[in-house]
Amino acid sequence: MDTVLSGLATGFSVALDPFNLMLVMVGCFVGTLIGALPGLGPINGVAILLPIAYGLGFAPESALILLAGIYYGAEYGGRISSILLNVPGDAGAVMTTLDGNPMARAGQAGRALSLSAVASFAGGTFAVILMSLFAPALAGFAVTFGPADYVALMVFAFASLASLVGKSTVKTLLGATIGLMLATIGIDANTGVPRYTFGLPDILAGIDFLIVVVGLFGMAELLTLVEHQARGTLKSLPVDKSFVRMADLAATKWTIARASVIGFFIGILPGTGASVASAVAYGTEKRISDKDGTFGTGDVRGLAAPEAANNAAAGGSMVPMLTLGIPGSGTTAILLGALLMFNIQPGPMMFAQRPEVAWGLVASMYVGNVALLVINLPLVGLFARMLTIPQHYLTPLIAILAFIGIYTIVGNPHDLFMITGLGIFGWFLRKLDFSLAPIILGFVLGGLFEDNLRRALSISGGDWSILLSNWKSLLLYGLALLVVILPLWLGRRARAAAAREAAMH
Amino acid sequence: MANRIFAAVLLVVTLGYAVIAFTAIKAPFQYDPLGPESWPRILSVVAILCLLIILWKPDEEAFDVTRHVWFRLTAAVALLFGYAELYEPLGFILSTILFGTIVSAMLGATKLRALGFGVVAGIAGYLLCVTLMDLNLPEGELIAPLFEISQQGES
Repeated sequence: MDTVLSGLATGFSVALDPFNLMLVMVGCFVGTLIGALPGLGPINGVAILLPIAYGLGFAPESALILLAGIYYGAEYGGRISSILLNVPGDAGAVMTTLDGNPMARAGQAGRALSLSAVASFAGGTFAVILMSLFAPALAGFAVTFGPADYVALMVFAFASLASLVGKSTVKTLLGATIGLMLATIGIDANTGVPRYTFGLPDILAGIDFLIVVVGLFGMAELLTLVEHQARGTLKSLPVDKSFVRMADLAATKWTIARASVIGFFIGILPGTGASVASAVAYGTEKRISDKDGTFGTGDVRGLAAPEAANNAAAGGSMVPMLTLGIPGSGTTAILLGALLMFNIQPGPMMFAQRPEVAWGLVASMYVGNVALLVINLPLVGLFARMLTIPQHYLTPLIAILAFIGIYTIVGNPHDLFMITGLGIFGWFLRKLDFSLAPIILGFVLGGLFEDNLRRALSISGGDWSILLSNWKSLLLYGLALLVVILPLWLGRRARAAAAREAAMH
Repeated sequence: MANRIFAAVLLVVTLGYAVIAFTAIKAPFQYDPLGPESWPRILSVVAILCLLIILWKPDEEAFDVTRHVWFRLTAAVALLFGYAELYEPLGFILSTILFGTIVSAMLGATKLRALGFGVVAGIAGYLLCVTLMDLNLPEGELIAPLFEISQQGES
């Protein structure tokens, strides 16, 4: 407890520094904007703005605070277009359309927006509090992990990724492997042997992380926008003067509490982010409280549950990233890559070695939550107007921002061709139902995975049984098996139940 | 069908990756049991297995891109490559004005508004990034001499 309090004190002294405070505000504002624009989700927003944030030359904690604010704000902003346009701003806000849009159509847009802002705030704050309690303890435990345990942890992370993300397990696994393979390009750090460089000096140090991220996410998103280019502007419902009432909060307080817990713990699991959390929270809440069948017609509880859950999940997915160095979602994988660019190795030692970064980030999330609530309640009308920015301006703007970001790093115009090429590859992957998060996760974790495997085998002198010699790794392999088998088993049972029901009728 | 073609292309690339991993990569001297070649070998086997599964049992879904959309996508990609090609020679301001105007016009903005967007994005973007945020953007080989002349005129 003492370490938590003194850590938070360090953190707040960083986060409340006027400059960092301003960055939190800017990040939250920009993030809300990005989240609100339909199609441009948190992951694409963070990807496009990451090189620019890097190019500004801030201290690591400041740059990270800015990026975390953007990520956080984007999770907040997703609800605005869900409610007003019935088009989710990002994957985590899909469930918000179910009850949020009917409320807005019934002339209660203001009430829906303010209630969801409060629910997001509650979910987000709950997650940050749990995070500051859990993270140091988890980091303290993770210090005892040896290389073999890290290998097991990675296997668990990829197993839960494969089973929970995307439609096809094989495609997710292949995606992660493509990411790992991309990470092998460059000089091998242990022996100095160049791998897959084909004599090109540009990639001796490996393919730049920023190029992969901006190409696969930013540019692929741009091509998707071009593909789905919608004629005319979307029609936004007006924001009225209605506001959240005490009675709404009283009706939803347990909903918000339940959804926050669900969201936080689902967020912690590697690979599962806000979209899974909000779907599970909505489903659970529907089963528990939908006695009159009002869910889907503008029930306040159906609106509060997914919003509290997706913001809690955004906080939860930061926990494994900060304590183990294993990101819980695609967006946190990008944040992890950002840390690596500043020469900070995320993981158990970060709380001890770079407390100003680790705790500063945690504290900035407290501040960010409050800032988002303050920004969102009065300024929601402004964000609502931004929704109607036509796609034909947004699309070239993405390319311009991506080019600025990539060019400013080293000033090499070849990188601009690289991101465009990767964007085409990413567009094909998306078109064929591959999810891109596993690729970036594989790319970020590739070096760590390989190093730990090689170190473990060096310790044992080439004996592979070291990977199974320890209860911690055995437990992790067991969990990995469980996350793969459980969904298959549940799916089979559900199908069997459906078949039986069909046979009865 | 699209799944199979894509998997086949990836398989060719992965086979190339595997061949290099199994034949070319070698450390001149090595103390550790796993050298630089082991990890790529493991990865290539996993990737090949995944690709064979996809080839054997591809997802059934139509690759619904009409000829019109293909045309638009190709045009967008060509414009992006053009933008990248002209980024340094023309400089940020001119190339962005061109790119912004053409793309927004192609995607349905009226000509005048597209031009307005391009000009604003080029000039405001340059001022914002270079003067305010101190980022490094190309002035342009064509423009740079003009700057120098105007500076000489002042001094």
